[in-house]
Amino acid sequence: MLTFTEKKNSLLIDIPLSDYSIDVIYKCFYWYTGDYDVEVSKESNHTAIEIITRSNEKIDFDYLKSKIKSDLIDFKTRDIISKETKNVRDLIIAKAFSDSDEFNSEPPGEISDPVGFKIKNK
Amino acid sequence: MSRKFKESSYYQKGNTNYYLLPFKFHKINDLTEVLVNEVGEYLFVDNGTANRIINREIEFESNLYKDLISNFFISEKPIPDLIDIISNKYRSKKSFINEFTSLHIFVVSLRCDHTCHYCQVSRVSEDQNKYDMSKSDIDIAISHMLRSKSDHVTMEFQGGEPLLAFDKIKYGVDKAKELNKKYNKEITFVICTNLVSVTKEILNFCKEHNILISTSYDGPQYIHDKNRLYTKGSSHKKVLKGIDLSRKILGHDRVSALMTTTNLTLDYPLEIIDDYYKNGFRNIFLRPISPYGFALKSPKKNKYVTEKFLEFYKKGLMHIIDMNKKGIYFSEDYATIILKKILTPFPVGYVDLQSPAGAINSVIVYNYDGYVYATDESRMLAETGDYSFRLGHLKKNSYDEIFFGKNASKFAYSFANESLPGCSECGLQAYCGADPVFHHASQGDVIGHRPSSGYCQKNMEIIRFILELISKEEYDTIFRSWVYKTSFSEKN
Repeated sequence: MLTFTEKKNSLLIDIPLSDYSIDVIYKCFYWYTGDYDVEVSKESNHTAIEIITRSNEKIDFDYLKSKIKSDLIDFKTRDIISKETKNVRDLIIAKAFSDSDEFNSEPPGEISDPVGFKIKNK
Repeated sequence: MSRKFKESSYYQKGNTNYYLLPFKFHKINDLTEVLVNEVGEYLFVDNGTANRIINREIEFESNLYKDLISNFFISEKPIPDLIDIISNKYRSKKSFINEFTSLHIFVVSLRCDHTCHYCQVSRVSEDQNKYDMSKSDIDIAISHMLRSKSDHVTMEFQGGEPLLAFDKIKYGVDKAKELNKKYNKEITFVICTNLVSVTKEILNFCKEHNILISTSYDGPQYIHDKNRLYTKGSSHKKVLKGIDLSRKILGHDRVSALMTTTNLTLDYPLEIIDDYYKNGFRNIFLRPISPYGFALKSPKKNKYVTEKFLEFYKKGLMHIIDMNKKGIYFSEDYATIILKKILTPFPVGYVDLQSPAGAINSVIVYNYDGYVYATDESRMLAETGDYSFRLGHLKKNSYDEIFFGKNASKFAYSFANESLPGCSECGLQAYCGADPVFHHASQGDVIGHRPSSGYCQKNMEIIRFILELISKEEYDTIFRSWVYKTSFSEKN
């Protein structure tokens, strides 16, 4: 479970690594580095993130917490898609750029010829 | 030829044990997210659907399941039966790679009769020897152009003002045609000119050789003349006169115009569009503001300028859509480029939105002094003393050294947005591109920092905005008329 601690100029987030991998955490908080300074401290089973404002503007903590929760889920979803589909993606690209028959395969299923085009199965 | 249906029990089992295919997603507003598969095909769904898909919560009986299967977002087998179809679509999307370097820009002269404040390259000078391209350099550049793998190349003459060196254009066109007898490529000739010094003789030559004219036109006189300072009077009057003469001799459709966006421009989107229409144009390119004339490495200023541009762009685009709704055919070029990427299976030859990047892969610039640059912006950087994208010299380096040498290799690792931080999992990746020159110029790094990148801020928001409009079906006919260049008003 995520734990948030509000500070004067920053927000501290404690993230269990059992919920979100370090890859997901980095990819997610990368997008916060445009507007904030972000510090990452990785411990054995959790990661502490501190998001620090660069200006004197007050942090809207409610907005930021809600956005972080939503973004972490999105980046975890992306990570799952990316990992689960890595092999098939590699195959799609290999087939796309293959000039030989190395990655080609016969279309599946039985081919019949009811109209009489005289299509021959190889 | 027929294929057999599976047994009826297969369709009754309520199977949610599907497999994922590669896809990405992006929220386009509070209610909707877009799913984009590996080949750029999209599906609008409720927010949170991507998460439901990975958690295997999509019901077999649902329409969404059928949409996801038929659009290659999920599969009932680990390797889908139609994987070759997906690969062929991927191959089509990236087919521009086979056209390696199709746009060849010849900077025949740096001399110019304008002193536009946004131009870093031109010189007001009569010294032809110093600022005009030599015939021997033109010869070598043409031979490089004809070595392109593409059957269709574009030879574009730029400046300065290229018509001040019209003898070099004539020489280049004649030489290219002569040498092309051996290669038999289709060559499109374009002259990018301010049209101030255009004459009937020049235009007759253009007509004879089927040369297109692309001119600079910034809209109403109070904007154009402030942006484009002409040393001998009103540039606006001269360019309109030149456009009129060019249309009469070459034909209306052989003359196009490009606008350069400046801080002044940003206050007048509607006035500029209406002025374009009034002067006979049926399209406009609301081009992004160039970072090359601004405080390049000031993220705060870049962000502000990009925000202002986005406001200008959206206001302009909605005005153009309203014109179309009233039966007036008029299109916006940047939206059309993005729409082609979203709505068609084909690649788009626009160098700023390509992955791998357009630099070298699609465009090359032969400068007046014989040096070769990766993009038009690269030579602008060179004028400020930054030679990072200078690939070599026509007389000192071979074709291979220029196109595949160590200078080109130095930044080729940043060409693919598929592997850039922040882009690699972005839902809009298929519609966007990589621009190492922009990121080097604005952030001092060819990879760039996506969260503070003006390129990213601009393109993500414009693509999101266009997707949001596509999701509302009322704009579909208008957008397709732009993509397929059919008049919406004529059809309706």
